[in-house]
Amino acid sequence: MKRVLALAMIAAVVAAACGAAAPSGGASASPAQVKLNDGKLVIGVINDQSLVYADLSGKNAVEAVKMAVEDFKAKYGDNALGAPIEVITADHQNKPDLASSKAQEFYERNNADIILDVPTSSAALAIAKVANDEKKLYINITAATTDLTGVSCNKYTFHYAYDTYMLAAGTGKWVTENLGKQWYIIYPNYAFGQDMEKSFRGAVTKFGGTVIQSDGSPFPNTSGDFSQLLVKAGQLKPQILGVMQAGGDLVNVVKQYNQFKLGDQGIKLAIGLLFDTDITAIGQDQMAGVVYTTPWVWSMDDQSKQFADKFLKRTGIRPTFAHAGNYSAAWQYMEAIRRAGTDDADAVVKQLEGYKFSDFFIRNGNIRAEDHWVMHDALLAQVKPASEAKEKFDYSKVLGTIPAETASRPLADAGCKK
Amino acid sequence: MDLGYVSVQLFNGLVNGAFYALLSLGLAIIFGVLRVVNFAHGAVYMLGAFAAYLLLQQFGIGFWPALVLAPIGVALLGIVVERLLLRRLYGLDPLYNFLVTFGLALFLQDAMRLRFGIQGQPYPTPDELSASVLLGPVSYPLYRLFVIAFSLLVCVASWYVIERTRLGMVVRAATERAELTRALGIDVDRWVTAVFAIGIGLAALAGVLAAPMRNVAPLMGSELIILTFAVVVIGGLGSIVGAVTAGFLIGVLASLGAVFNPAFENVIVFALMAVVLLLRPAGLFGSREAA
Amino acid sequence: MRRRDIALLVVGIGIALLLPRVLYSALALRIVLWALFAVSVDLLLGYGGMLSFGHAAFWGAGGYAAALLAKAYELPFPVATLGGIGLAMALATPIGYLAIRRRGIYFAMVTLAFAQMLFYVVNELRDLTGGENGVQGVPRILPGMSLGRTSDFYYASLPLVLIGFFVAYRIVHSPFGHVLVSIRDNEARAQALGYPTQRYKLIAFVLSGGIAGLAGSLYAIGNSFASLELLHWTTSGNAVLMTVLGGMGTLWGAGVGAAIVLLLEDSLSSVTEAPGIVTGAILIGIVLGFRRGLATALQRAAVLVWARLRAIGAARQA
Repeated sequence: MKRVLALAMIAAVVAAACGAAAPSGGASASPAQVKLNDGKLVIGVINDQSLVYADLSGKNAVEAVKMAVEDFKAKYGDNALGAPIEVITADHQNKPDLASSKAQEFYERNNADIILDVPTSSAALAIAKVANDEKKLYINITAATTDLTGVSCNKYTFHYAYDTYMLAAGTGKWVTENLGKQWYIIYPNYAFGQDMEKSFRGAVTKFGGTVIQSDGSPFPNTSGDFSQLLVKAGQLKPQILGVMQAGGDLVNVVKQYNQFKLGDQGIKLAIGLLFDTDITAIGQDQMAGVVYTTPWVWSMDDQSKQFADKFLKRTGIRPTFAHAGNYSAAWQYMEAIRRAGTDDADAVVKQLEGYKFSDFFIRNGNIRAEDHWVMHDALLAQVKPASEAKEKFDYSKVLGTIPAETASRPLADAGCKK
Repeated sequence: MDLGYVSVQLFNGLVNGAFYALLSLGLAIIFGVLRVVNFAHGAVYMLGAFAAYLLLQQFGIGFWPALVLAPIGVALLGIVVERLLLRRLYGLDPLYNFLVTFGLALFLQDAMRLRFGIQGQPYPTPDELSASVLLGPVSYPLYRLFVIAFSLLVCVASWYVIERTRLGMVVRAATERAELTRALGIDVDRWVTAVFAIGIGLAALAGVLAAPMRNVAPLMGSELIILTFAVVVIGGLGSIVGAVTAGFLIGVLASLGAVFNPAFENVIVFALMAVVLLLRPAGLFGSREAA
Repeated sequence: MRRRDIALLVVGIGIALLLPRVLYSALALRIVLWALFAVSVDLLLGYGGMLSFGHAAFWGAGGYAAALLAKAYELPFPVATLGGIGLAMALATPIGYLAIRRRGIYFAMVTLAFAQMLFYVVNELRDLTGGENGVQGVPRILPGMSLGRTSDFYYASLPLVLIGFFVAYRIVHSPFGHVLVSIRDNEARAQALGYPTQRYKLIAFVLSGGIAGLAGSLYAIGNSFASLELLHWTTSGNAVLMTVLGGMGTLWGAGVGAAIVLLLEDSLSSVTEAPGIVTGAILIGIVLGFRRGLATALQRAAVLVWARLRAIGAARQA
């Protein structure tokens, strides 16, 4: 028994070393001693495939996970985990009750070993509870709520790509130091927006700025109109208009910001959460110059471009950070199984906790054992004008890196009691 | 909070009201003549915006021609829907057509999502209207003023058609005294398709007007439709003047209410609706219950 | 009870007991609770002729109240559920009082307006309700039993669900129910016969709200969370949809409708890329093709087949 353990540990070290490299290596390493519980590994992806987040992650995130599985086999051989690997998926339509029941089905009936992705905070939190009840793994990638690693944290839940704290720490700091100190913040009046407002207010104040005022917009905003807040912005004349709206609301705000020509009056735009899909909807030139925080940009370096090329060939689009995050999380999970020598959830959790790694998506990664927040460097990016773009999806350039320590909420503030 | 600021918000309210008015006008004449509460009205608004987007994208046809072409195109689609689906359910409980149009809304939204994605598409403001004008102390986008003026124009024109033409006479008669109109030997059914097409066209027109200032996306009308219901109910379900007046009124009230507390904009509309229904069940301008 | 009803009852309980074996337990739980919710809508629509487009208010009020009670005071779930029913009925009284003054599509709009107001109010009371994140981590407690697994909760809550169905059945088949139907068919006549029709309608509304509250309470505790989705207008729309799909005025049709809609939603979520197109097309098809609902169509088909079989049998004997 001891010998097997030692062997497994050696294999784990080797695997870890390989894992640090780009996940596209060709030669298959010697099969590790992996024993899966029920004869196969099942990875479940639950996300929105038909509504607001369908383009951000959606079915192409499932493709990303499948790519990760294929590449993993290409690297370690078909027998990488000593058993077949299956990817299953469901569309939760952003309904928390459907998400929760699908998660139970996946864990109980399909013997899913892990669930990935899950946008929409309420659905994300609902599945965290299911994972804890079922004692199975869950890595969230696309939801923004810090509650996943805060009041709702548990032993089996990990939060991978980004959260509201990261967004504020990046954009709030840089904009205050470089563009202007006087902010007027507008936010959608629901949990996400309030979270963002609080985080940004904290960051702006911390780095020497002031928030003159902040106002909530109705949620859901049935009329799609934000003019009263924008007119107010024109009256207050702040240096920075901090916009915390997301998705369709964000598109409406920016369209109307341009209509009111607030930019010409010297009121600069800072956006809390910006996806590539939003830039498509508003138009690249309309957004040019806007600075935002993101975990990843596909054109940031050669490693990422390599992934983006492969992804483009497969899906016809360039990957969003959500797609890359799903790939990376699936990959790191499988690596952890090789290190653990089993897919037993408790053993894999042990392997993940405190693990330090880097791959094309995560740089200077460290899975914080206390709250399961995956610490890593975030990027400060800027939308460039279409004239500078090399291709259709070439939206942004990287201005700088926000170190993992700065981008992560301090443990003391998390309030996580596992 | 000075007077200039409040008056600018008044204009913002009128812009919102312009959209409500066009949408609820279409909804009201469809309900008046067909007794159909068109749940797909929000989806039609979305189709109008997409039609404008497609005209620009595929054929390079700009905003001004689109203002005419898009509503006509969508109205033609409306004729097909009326002939194929709604026609079979006249004379039955309005509930059935309510459900059919609900299904239609789901269908249309999802079909557009499959084709264009969920994120929305860009649409530029027409160059002629991209300037701003000074409105007291605040510079105000010309396009918004155009939306108010144009919508008012369309509403007045609709009023003229309804008051002065034969089509309008039938619409009025059918809206207010349906059984009597039939009894007088007027073939209401012949006009039904035309009326439905016009109602649909008005919603599509609102969609084209929205394209330069709102996100052009498959779900852009899905929440708006509930608000429009409230507007029509407040105005009086079958009342044409009521629909338009209530549209502008609610746009303005909600915007002014938002000056005090933006978060309660939604509650104001539905609270108002409840009060009106209880005090004046037929709506502010309705003459009697028509359901 | 008629013999046919007893047979139906046995079949119903049998299905309810076996459902988690056939499907997975979380889906089974959703089906029986949505079925109960749809039955509460049918009670008003099918028997009282009142289309409530705002029943999510009672389903959601029950859900939030039960979830908050269970979480804050660690109450056993049946007690928390009582709280949920209480709030739902307390809310249904004034809303019903105002709504029954209108009829037809206006009644639908009034109920919708009140439900929308509740939606926004709950969203605003975020210190209590968690806003859009919802009330998360609601415990499922029953002294002496572990309800960690959803299948355990399913069987533990089934008696309450059955009581809900039974109450609906009793209402419909009582003299009260018969008066309700006669009000639906001709209110003026019922009035002329000396029935206080408004009071009858109000009582029906409050009872219906209570049943919706019961279903919503169990739904929230069973899911371990209450979220804004409970109160959204699409939730009301879904319940009406289920009722009409299955067949109004049959009670069991509402259950069939709920099962169809949820099974469809569940299977579509893994299969198709276009749930809206499929659902929309099916809805249109059913309204155009089987206007009286699938349950009624099935019932008719069964009667036809039965008559045919008997005819064949009779012919053989002869």
